[in-house]
Amino acid sequence: MGIPIIFLILGLIFGLLTNITIPEAYTNYLAVIILAALDALIGGIRAQLERQFQNKLFISGFFFNVMVALVIVFIGEMAGVELYLAAVIALGIRMLQNISNIRKISIQKGGLFKKSKKNKGFSTNHIE
Amino acid sequence: MKRKNQIAIALFCFCIGLSIAFLIQTNQKPTEKDTRDLWEIRTSLQEEQMKQQNLYKEIEKSEAMLKLYEEQTEQQQMASLKESIKRLKEQAGLTKKEGTGVILTIEPIFTEENQYEYPQITADLIHHLVNELNTYGATDIAIGNERIVNISPIRDVNEKVYVNNYSIGSLPIKLYVLSEEPSRLVDYVNVSESLDYFALENMEIHTETVENITLPKYDGAIDFEDVKVMAVEGEGEE
Repeated sequence: MGIPIIFLILGLIFGLLTNITIPEAYTNYLAVIILAALDALIGGIRAQLERQFQNKLFISGFFFNVMVALVIVFIGEMAGVELYLAAVIALGIRMLQNISNIRKISIQKGGLFKKSKKNKGFSTNHIE
Repeated sequence: MKRKNQIAIALFCFCIGLSIAFLIQTNQKPTEKDTRDLWEIRTSLQEEQMKQQNLYKEIEKSEAMLKLYEEQTEQQQMASLKESIKRLKEQAGLTKKEGTGVILTIEPIFTEENQYEYPQITADLIHHLVNELNTYGATDIAIGNERIVNISPIRDVNEKVYVNNYSIGSLPIKLYVLSEEPSRLVDYVNVSESLDYFALENMEIHTETVENITLPKYDGAIDFEDVKVMAVEGEGEE
């Protein structure tokens, strides 16, 4: 858990040091890519905690999500509708759900609620 | 977690960090740099100094006037106040004004192609001409019977040109222009762009230097309700 965060911060520092900017027209695309990547990452962490992590699923999920999100953004720009919000909302909601699941799993693994046996199943469909 | 997976996720995180950094940098607007060279800076400095000098002169004038008022008796004060008002009215165009100047006559040109169509003047053309006359050293301008003051509107209303909210009628139209150097103004007008623009609309401008023209006064009320003092930003005050 620690190494990915260290690398995330390293990436941020390197990016800020290189002073690279992208054309303003592509900022929506990059934002959606970042969101899709974060979603895939958090989904991956959850799967890892549930011991269901598969490299293939992780990578293909990321690329597929990015592709679909980019297509949505592109269609939105062509049609003059801010369709990228759809991708942002969908990815954002899933990210929050996954984060809440990660929290639940880690609390249960940490033994804080070991005595309560009611919380065995992890629902992926509700946020607390 | 397998070592391979861990490396993959770490690299993945690195990429995410990089792209977030790029996005942050893109969204930060670059600070504007002063790219003027020495010469441009010197010129702007000179301009500012000129402005300063003019302001000092104005202050000096006002102070002298104030002193004069203070020193005078009440009757003299009234007299000089009236004189000031008269001078200001003259400057604003609220009085008749005489002087040497030029009469410009805008007339239609009839060629074989357009002999059935009467050319129509537009506010844009008049605007352009008035602006040009001002740059060529005209001190006061009147279009027909309408004196142009600082707030005179020139607009198209129902295909007619209105100056000071009165129609100036159809062609031919006369413009009365006062100038300290009428012959120079005529020369300028004869080579001006306006001539070409008017010619495109089948109109021509005749110029005539006159020793003594009387311009009518501005009849309307000058309304200062929406006039605001503009804040002038100094150098390096951004």
